[in-house]
Amino acid sequence: MSRNVRVAGSLHEEGENVGLHRFALFTACSTAFLIFVGGLVTSNRAGLSVPDWPTSYGWNMFTFPYSKWVGGIFYEHGHRLVASFVGFLTVILASWTWLKDTRRWIRVLSLVALISVITQGILGGLTVKYLLPTPISMTHALLAQTFFCMTIAMAYFTSPSWKRGLPNIQDTHVGISLPKLSLLTTGAVYLQLLLGAWMRHTESGLAIPDFPLAFGRLIPEFTNYHVTIHFAHRMGAILVAGMIAWTFVRMYVWHQHDNLLFRPALILVILVFAQLALGAFTIWTEKSPVITSVHVATGALILGTSFLLTLRAYSMVAREAKWQ
Amino acid sequence: MRKGLVTISLLSLLGFAACGGNKDPFDIPAGGAGGGGGPVANLTATVKGKIAFEGTAPTPKKLSTSSDPNCKNPNLVSEEVVVSDGGLENVIVYVSGGDLAGKSFPAATELKTLDQQGCHYIPHALTLQVGQPLKILNSDETAHNVHAWAMVNMPFNESQSSKGVETIKKFDKEEVMFPVRCDVHNWMNAFVGVFNHPLHTVSGKGGAFEMKLPAGTYEVTAIHETLGKQTGTVTVADNGSADLNFTFKPK
Repeated sequence: MSRNVRVAGSLHEEGENVGLHRFALFTACSTAFLIFVGGLVTSNRAGLSVPDWPTSYGWNMFTFPYSKWVGGIFYEHGHRLVASFVGFLTVILASWTWLKDTRRWIRVLSLVALISVITQGILGGLTVKYLLPTPISMTHALLAQTFFCMTIAMAYFTSPSWKRGLPNIQDTHVGISLPKLSLLTTGAVYLQLLLGAWMRHTESGLAIPDFPLAFGRLIPEFTNYHVTIHFAHRMGAILVAGMIAWTFVRMYVWHQHDNLLFRPALILVILVFAQLALGAFTIWTEKSPVITSVHVATGALILGTSFLLTLRAYSMVAREAKWQ
Repeated sequence: MRKGLVTISLLSLLGFAACGGNKDPFDIPAGGAGGGGGPVANLTATVKGKIAFEGTAPTPKKLSTSSDPNCKNPNLVSEEVVVSDGGLENVIVYVSGGDLAGKSFPAATELKTLDQQGCHYIPHALTLQVGQPLKILNSDETAHNVHAWAMVNMPFNESQSSKGVETIKKFDKEEVMFPVRCDVHNWMNAFVGVFNHPLHTVSGKGGAFEMKLPAGTYEVTAIHETLGKQTGTVTVADNGSADLNFTFKPK
């Protein structure tokens, strides 16, 4: 039983630029990798292992000898290089978009992405110069996730399928609309990433040392703010898991045959299970750097997937309304 | 439940502002470094004792230095809790109150050294008087960064990229105590206590300590990086000696 209405035909007159789309996709994938590398820096407590910026131990960043990439320097300097690479990709992406895409709003989006990546680089420098102040480190972490969403949006809006026109669906379910539900889920994930960044940058990751209980209880005593932030992150995990479960059930019941919606919802469920396990192992292994970093990167993937689902939901349902 | 939520909200907001202000609450009424109006006190008395460790000493945790082949220190172990002959090492012992009013002390000029050797700080804990010079030296064939996590004094993070590089630091405020860490080698840490007066020391082998001070009655505090702090009182006469012992338990 399909409740979907598919509309053929293009709603956009722009020519397809597969090269630009693939490049945007590559930028998004590189950004996901950069977030993982950034997680490695924090997890290995290496954020200040290179005390100068933008130089590295007095060297130009790009000529710093590999033989000196020891200990924490490997992670911090590696992060700077991967970040520079992503910055370089973003410059190309913005330039390409301005040259080849006539849509004004996507040009503006590419420019905002470029400004964001430059800001992100400056924030990274400030974290070094000012010895990791929590507000700047948190902003750096959240802007990374926001920028990741921008690259996903760039890849999405330059995709041939979007330009050709996505199939329209009928959102006949009573209650909250599908786009709103997806948006709320994305918002919950973003909030959870904020809590995660806060926890990480205030050294609260092991403030509650046991899991699934908290100091042997369901609700711990809030003896200091580290415990509070940590516990809030655990509660956030339940909220996110609940929102993703709700989204998935909605998709499974009403849109099982709409692959553009159902697949990301299914991926979200798989990712959230993996993420919960990674969160548990982060505690059980006392913040093993690799596990903690994969946890950070998986968080970004959940946000990215949920964001893509939201974009699709808004595109497909909104067009149905317009079409009607 | 409601109270819990309110607590979470308020503490969450406060968390933003919580990256500073970890100042030790005690305030010593001494003259401070270099004098504070009274006559210069003579350190003619001695307080000595032992920091005992109760219970089974923890097995030193082996540290892997494999992330930097230049460290060449395969036998490195954690110095978080070092117990020898039943005594706890690396405990900072200092006068935290008592007959200090009206006394002043000369500025300390003796150069103390914090050496980075084998990707390891020597000593692990040290004390300074306000204004006393501290030489931080890199004796390794690798790069270190010296990152002082001071809260009261000005924190700093400086690179020492090669063997023989040294820097001299002075701290202008009393602070008990702050870690110095190397972020290149994340196992490296040392602890520094800075005092307004010269009445401080660090426990050594067997947890033994000895401290020179003027005659009088004093509150003495012993603080350890992970095991907390304890306070005792001692009275000592001119040219006299008094014993003061502390006992720390594993956490």
